[in-house]
Amino acid sequence: MKLHQIWLTDFRSHADLSLTFSEGLTAVIGPNGSGKTNLLEAIGVLSRLRSFRGVSNDRLLRREQPRAIVRAQGERDGRDVLIELELSSGRSTVFVNKQRLPRNRDLLGALRVTVFAPDDLSLLKDGPSVRREYLDDLLIALDTRNDAVIADYARVVKQRNTLLKQAKGRLDDAAELTLDVYDTQLSALGERLTYLREHVLSALMPRVANAYTMLAGTECSVVASYRRSWEGDGMLEAVQEARAQDLARSTTSMGPHRDEVSLRIDEFDSRTEASQGEQRTLALALRFAGHELVTEHVKEPPLLLLDDVLSELDEARATALLTNLPVGQTLITSATELPASVRPDAIVRFPIINLTTLDTEPDQVVEVLTDG
Amino acid sequence: MSTYARPLEVLIDELGRLPGIGPKSAQRIAFHLLNVDRVDVSRLSEALIDVKDKVSFCERCFNVAEGPLCEICNDPSRDHDVICVVEEPKDIAALERTGAFRGRYHVLMGAINPLEGIGPEQLKVKELATRIASEDIEEIIICTNPNLEGETTAAYIARMLKSFDMIKVTRLASGLPVGGDLDYADELTLGRALEGRSAL
Ligand SMILES: Nc1ncnc2c1ncn2[C@@H]1O[C@H](COP(=O)(O)OP(=O)(O)O)[C@@H](O)[C@H]1O
Ligand SMILES: [Mg+2]
Ligand SMILES: [Zn+2]
Repeated sequence: MKLHQIWLTDFRSHADLSLTFSEGLTAVIGPNGSGKTNLLEAIGVLSRLRSFRGVSNDRLLRREQPRAIVRAQGERDGRDVLIELELSSGRSTVFVNKQRLPRNRDLLGALRVTVFAPDDLSLLKDGPSVRREYLDDLLIALDTRNDAVIADYARVVKQRNTLLKQAKGRLDDAAELTLDVYDTQLSALGERLTYLREHVLSALMPRVANAYTMLAGTECSVVASYRRSWEGDGMLEAVQEARAQDLARSTTSMGPHRDEVSLRIDEFDSRTEASQGEQRTLALALRFAGHELVTEHVKEPPLLLLDDVLSELDEARATALLTNLPVGQTLITSATELPASVRPDAIVRFPIINLTTLDTEPDQVVEVLTDG
Repeated sequence: MSTYARPLEVLIDELGRLPGIGPKSAQRIAFHLLNVDRVDVSRLSEALIDVKDKVSFCERCFNVAEGPLCEICNDPSRDHDVICVVEEPKDIAALERTGAFRGRYHVLMGAINPLEGIGPEQLKVKELATRIASEDIEEIIICTNPNLEGETTAAYIARMLKSFDMIKVTRLASGLPVGGDLDYADELTLGRALEGRSAL
C-alpha cells in the first residue's frame, strides 16, 4: 500500500509526531539522535509487527509511558486504509479501518517494507540466526501464508523443548506419545521451511551477484550455500535418531532453526575472510536483491526505507545504489544534506517541535483505542 | 497503595483475578458496580452463587450440566455411536448451532500445551479411552481448534486410539481459519467442515 500519513504517539523518542509522505521520495533530515531511525522503526513495526532492531515492545514505548500508538493512513487498490497499532508491554493490538483484527498476523502483507540500515553489516558479521531471519522475512514478504509455517515451526520447537525439559531425561508413556507427535509436526513443518528457504535463496543468488558487481564496480563471484543441520532424505528419521541426545540436553538439535547460510565472495568466506568494505557491499547487495525479488512477485513494490545509508557509503556506491533501486515510494534519512544527484519530492526536517499540541489532552481516537 | 475503602479494594482484587480482566478494567467494573442499584448487584451475586450450586460438569462427557448428566447425554434421540471430541464446553455450543451433528460429545477441558504445563494427564483423555471401551462407539470426530495445540492434541488422540481398531477416527475438514478458535468459525464453515471430515 501507499503511505500518505503517519502519526506516532509515545513511540520511542516521539511523544506526538505527524508526518505526510510524498508518493515518491521523502527525505528526513536531522542531526543524530533526533529520532529518524525511530520513525523508520515505527513503519517497520506496522509492516512486520516487530522491530527490525530486534527488541521487544517494552523498548518501543516512550520512557515511562504504558503504551505507544502508531497510526498510518494509506491507500491500497484505490481504497483508503487506516491502520492503527497499539503497543504495550508484551501485547500488540491492531485495528484496520477501526475494526480490530482477530489475529494480529492478518496485518502482514498490508504494508511491505524493505529496510536498508547501517547495522545491516551484522547480516554478515553476526551468527546464523540473522541470516535465517533475513530469509524468513523475505518468505513472508513474498507470501504472507509462509508466516504460518515459520510461526508454527517456532512454536513446535518451543513446545518440544519445554516437554524435553519437563521430562528430566525420562519419558513416561504419555510424554513419549506426545513427543512422537511433536517429532512428526517438527519434521513436516521443518521440511517445508527448509524447502522454502533453499528455494528463495536460489532465486535470490543471481540477483545478489549482479547487485554486488553493480555496487562494487568490478566483476565478482558471490555464491551461497544453505547448510542443513540434518542429513538424509527425511527429517523425521534424523529427529528420531537425535532423541536420546535431545532428551539429555533438553533441546531440539535438528531442524531449520539450527541451519546456516554461508556466503562466499570470490571463494572467500564472507564472515571470516572478507574485508569490512566487502561485507558492507554484500549486505547492501542482499537487501537490494531481496527488494528486487519481492517487487517482481507482488503487485506493489515494497516501501523502501533507507536509514542513514549515505553516511556508510562512498559517493560512487551511494549513487549506484540510489540510481539502480527499483523505486516505488521511498523514505530516506540523513544527518547531512543529500548529494545533488538525489532530488527528493519532499523534505522533512527533524526535530519537529509541535507547539500547538504541547500541554493538550490526548485526542479522541487515542481515547477510543485504549478502551478495548 | 491503599487509596480506596477496604471493601472496594477487595472487590477490585477479586475482579482482577478473573481471566481477561486487567487492573484497569477491574477498577472500572468495581466503580460501575458501586454506582448501580442494589437490586442489580444482588441479582448478579445470586447468579454467581447459583451457577456454582446448580451447574457442574457432566459425569460422562464433561459438558456443563444441571444434574449428573448434561442435556445432550440425557437426550435419547442423539446417536450413540459417534462422539465429537472438543476442547471446551463452549465448542459444543458452536457445533450445536450448525445443526449438522446428531451424535454426542466429549470435552477434553483444554489442549496439550507443555508451555502452560498441560499434558495428556491434565486432560480428559483417559476418560475418553474408558468411554470407548465401555460404550458402543463406531466413530470419533476430533474437533479440536485449528491451531498448533489443537493439531497436536488431535494427532495424540488419533495415535492413542490406534489400538482400538474397530473405530473410525476422523478430523474436522480444513476450511476452518488456521490459527483460529472453533467457536470463532461461522456456522456455515463449521457445518461444511463437519460434513467434509477426513480420516486420521
Ligand atoms: N523508549 C524510548 N523513550 C524515549 N526516548 C528514546 C527511547 N528509545 C530511544 N530514545 C531516544 O531516541 C534517540 C535516538 O533516536 P534515533 O531515531 O536513533 O536518532 P537518529 O535521528 O540518529 O536516527 C535517543 O536520544 C534516545 O535517547
Ligand atoms: Mg539513526
Ligand atoms: Zn454429557
